[in-house]
Amino acid sequence: MATSSPKFVFIQGTGGYRAYKFLGFAVLALLILIVAFAYNDTGSITLFDNDYKLSVTRVTKSISFMVAILGLQVVAGFTGQLSLGQGFFFGTGAYISAWLVADQNWAWFTSLLVVVPVCFLFGLLFGIPALRIKGLYLALVTLGLAAIFPSLIKLDVLLPYTGGAAGKQVDSDFIPPSWLPLDAIVDALHKIPLVGQYFGEGEGLSSKEEQRVWTFFLMTILAIICFKMVSNLIKSRPGRAIRAVRDNETSAAVNGMSLAFNKVMSFGVASALGGVGGMIYVAELGIASEGDFTQLISILFVVGMVVGGVGTLSGAVVGGLVIAFIPDWASSTQNLPLVPERWLQGPTGGLILGLGLIVVTFVLPGGVISGVRKIRDRIIQVIPQTPELGIPAGGVALQAGSTEGIEASTDGDAMSASTTADDG
Amino acid sequence: MELFLNRISDGLSNGATYALIAMALVMIFKATTLINFAQGEFAMFGGFIALVLATEQGIPMWGAVFGSMVITAVCAAGIERTLIRPFDPSDHLPLVIITLGLFLGINALAGIIWRFDPRAFPELFPSGNALTYGTATLSWYTVGTLVTIAVVSGGLTLLLNKTKIGLAFRAVSSNLESSELVGIKVGPTLQFGWAIAAAVGTLGVCVFVASPFRQLEPNVMVTGLIFAVSAAALGGLDSLGGAIVGGLAIGLVQSIAVPYLGVPSELSLLAAVAVLMLVLLFKPSGLFGTPQVERV
Repeated sequence: MATSSPKFVFIQGTGGYRAYKFLGFAVLALLILIVAFAYNDTGSITLFDNDYKLSVTRVTKSISFMVAILGLQVVAGFTGQLSLGQGFFFGTGAYISAWLVADQNWAWFTSLLVVVPVCFLFGLLFGIPALRIKGLYLALVTLGLAAIFPSLIKLDVLLPYTGGAAGKQVDSDFIPPSWLPLDAIVDALHKIPLVGQYFGEGEGLSSKEEQRVWTFFLMTILAIICFKMVSNLIKSRPGRAIRAVRDNETSAAVNGMSLAFNKVMSFGVASALGGVGGMIYVAELGIASEGDFTQLISILFVVGMVVGGVGTLSGAVVGGLVIAFIPDWASSTQNLPLVPERWLQGPTGGLILGLGLIVVTFVLPGGVISGVRKIRDRIIQVIPQTPELGIPAGGVALQAGSTEGIEASTDGDAMSASTTADDG
Repeated sequence: MELFLNRISDGLSNGATYALIAMALVMIFKATTLINFAQGEFAMFGGFIALVLATEQGIPMWGAVFGSMVITAVCAAGIERTLIRPFDPSDHLPLVIITLGLFLGINALAGIIWRFDPRAFPELFPSGNALTYGTATLSWYTVGTLVTIAVVSGGLTLLLNKTKIGLAFRAVSSNLESSELVGIKVGPTLQFGWAIAAAVGTLGVCVFVASPFRQLEPNVMVTGLIFAVSAAALGGLDSLGGAIVGGLAIGLVQSIAVPYLGVPSELSLLAAVAVLMLVLLFKPSGLFGTPQVERV
């Protein structure tokens, strides 16, 4: 704990805590609103004559990375199985949904009905070797898996479905429903004094812009659903089981957790999330091309996970933003004082990410999120409310119902303790 | 028949390169049970240094290769000292992440310095054929690659068995704690392993791109690493001899089995990954490796 006492203390279950939580959600909602309307395509920051674009489409792309990294957090962060193969499932999801939408006239979101089960099953399949292969060896095998994905896509058998080296073009227009007053919202925002000038030119949105905003909203909602599901999973019984497997396999097995079941399942969940991420990626980009799904993307997911924070959900958000924006911004940096131009024209983003990965491992082993939490803990302290042990007032002790009550409340206790440790 | 012989010759020359990179991986794995994911990128960078030394400094080709081997060895020793040694060697996750960071960083650095357009690499071996049998040929290039691995493996065997640092290296790879107790300086010994590995890898890439059909570019080792890894796993991750056998076997599988089974050439990588997975599933110690015994 920090030596100086925190400025704000909230006790769980009180009105103050609810206000604090509400404030958190309000800030998040405001951020989403700002991203959607203020930085619609034209939004950019100019620094030393370089344009740094902040457009919505890039944020949507980073959402796809966030969901894939979220999957990686489940298998690598919470179950402790370092997988370098997340890109394989990301690509599988992208291609399946591209094929369903382009050739079978499915809607984007119904394609998830196929993507999720297929990726889940693939994940189970590749989780089976993980039962025998551990640690480094698992990293090797999964890296191989990620490396073969582009060759699989170019197979003659699959050409009609994947488009081969040319990529799979797909129509990715999300038409916002007519009842949604996007134009009115942006005009209202534009009329706010002082900050209004950042929200468009006061002429509403073009149909292209409307589509971008709508895609962003839909994908944000999808991502929030994914994050909420994983958060619930981690806090519940299977989540505690996989963390036990991560921390000590032997003791987890001794305590009655099936190592095989937990590992394979976490691979399945991670792969399904990878597939969802891939669907978001291709829905935003409008094309799936094999060059995007090499082992490089798998390594980038690991970069995102580590930089954000291994074993944290908010780390996945930070990681997704990092791996989406840093390469982009690095390539739009064309001139910087003191740096020779030659160093800015090549793959500077890769260099920054590689160095960043090494620096973070040295300086902040818990990732950016652990740093943020250290600072937050100096300012805000949340005291978890300890649930009372459930001995009923009537004093009818040790009947079936009441023992269940005790179990449930001790569970709850462990949960709130681990919530403060693992989840942000 | 002639086609078959030609394919064998191709397979051997490819396999020799995989064997060299695999030997580099094995050197590091033997000592620290760590896979250096950046090994291929170290080697690629070494290839570029050799090319620069030869074309811009006018050093004779083999001299440039040796110069580059020395430079990459020194760099790898420095990387080991600064980035690897601060971490606990038994905790693999941070180390793997460091090597992944090196992978990304070195690949990008080479791209920044030398760009991504492929460059022709001067030939290291005489052109033409050593032997002809009908239309089947055995090129000097294939002979050269085989001679190279023979020389490298001979040199490494001498180095490990006849020198003091070699003895120390074998002691550290056999038991790290005990060798520390008998007064071996573990850190510098591991550093020595990293340096040798980088030098061997550099030689491997130079030989690989010296083929008249290949060129040097920053991504040349990205898939090469996968082949090398499965070669190392097949031979046994802690056996130098196994790395040679594994490398040649993977090379032969790639050039013989894949075309004869009628599978498209893209699938040679898949074959390598399949070999890797099967070996690790059913015989994790590989053909010649020492089985790992786990105490609970």
